[in-house]
Amino acid sequence: MKNIITQGLILVALFFSTWLVINQVDWMKLFSVETVTAKTEEKLGELFWDIFEKSETENKNPFVISSIDSIVDKICSANGIDKKSIKIHIFENDEINAFALPAGHLLIYSGLILESDNPEELSGVIGHEIAHIQLNHVMKKLVKEVGLSVLISMASGNGGGEILKETAKLLSSTAFDRSLEKEADIKAVDYLIKAKINPEPFADFLYKLAADEHKSMKYLTWINTHPDTRERAEYIVEYSGNKLTEPEPALSEETWEKLKEALSE
Amino acid sequence: MINVTKFVYEPGEHEAEKASNSYLMSLIALIAGLPLPIINLIATLIFYLGNRKGTYFVRWHCTQALLSQISVLAMNSYGFWWTVSIVIGSQSITNNYLAYIITVIIFNLTEFIATIYTAIQTRKGIHVEWWFYGSLSNLICKSES
Repeated sequence: MKNIITQGLILVALFFSTWLVINQVDWMKLFSVETVTAKTEEKLGELFWDIFEKSETENKNPFVISSIDSIVDKICSANGIDKKSIKIHIFENDEINAFALPAGHLLIYSGLILESDNPEELSGVIGHEIAHIQLNHVMKKLVKEVGLSVLISMASGNGGGEILKETAKLLSSTAFDRSLEKEADIKAVDYLIKAKINPEPFADFLYKLAADEHKSMKYLTWINTHPDTRERAEYIVEYSGNKLTEPEPALSEETWEKLKEALSE
Repeated sequence: MINVTKFVYEPGEHEAEKASNSYLMSLIALIAGLPLPIINLIATLIFYLGNRKGTYFVRWHCTQALLSQISVLAMNSYGFWWTVSIVIGSQSITNNYLAYIITVIIFNLTEFIATIYTAIQTRKGIHVEWWFYGSLSNLICKSES
């Protein structure tokens, strides 16, 4: 009996030591897993960005860009995120929406900025989208929804224009999985706290939009696509607790007012 | 790892065929059940249950085939669900995962080759005992006499 146990243990040990030894080889590099995914993502980012660039009007007002940039900068530098990896674009559109594209493109509609009561609310949404980018949710969603093979053929230029447009729509107007959304919310709260931005307005923003029934549904894309808004607001409040004692304003009041003015023109 | 020994008695032609089939069963099921590792276990289990009343030689080899399938199942299931969580879940491909899959492939191949070899040998009436599984089968499977 003892003999059998020893033999069994040796077999198990053999399995794990084989795994350990094989693990010493850098298979990711050998199979070029990272290079392939990075290249595909870069290319897809360009393709999707092209679609939105052509169909929407980008706001190129330097003041607007620099104001939003300063919020992004604040979040990135406090959380050790490479600022260059996030490419911010602001669009003239009444829809309350913001979304991320592959390769770090972050698109914000002016409707969302105008709907925010203060820069902290906007920072929450930006933090949430940056979290999606940092946690690689965009590519995961694409792989899940359209499949890796379609993505690779798109990136290599073999995908039809229609598929590309449909997929772009998928990115701008559908939410991620509930678990990914929650992960991004929690990460966003972490980002905000590290950047000394009060996370509570982010929850308020969600409450406010959930309660706002007068707004035509079509303008509330960011909320409609994100399920259980109230529940999200609740766990954001719960998670943020009293972690941040001395919050700093995300933007000065003056800049914020000027920004809203510039956008409503 | 594989030990050829003399069985307590000389198995007959019919017995050798049945015993050999227990390994073939796991092989065929392995090919059919590659995406879902549970299938080969079920197939071997059905064969095992069907031959519970068989002769000692047949029962012994059915037991060894079944036991080897159980450990393969554990190993493959883990790899299977890991892959599923990468494809549809939130996990991503890591070096650890690739190393695990390669290890699993090596162990499956070894098992595959050992199974073919044992199937051929038992067909000839030669008794083959595997390291660990053979001893375990000796413990579980008792001669009626």
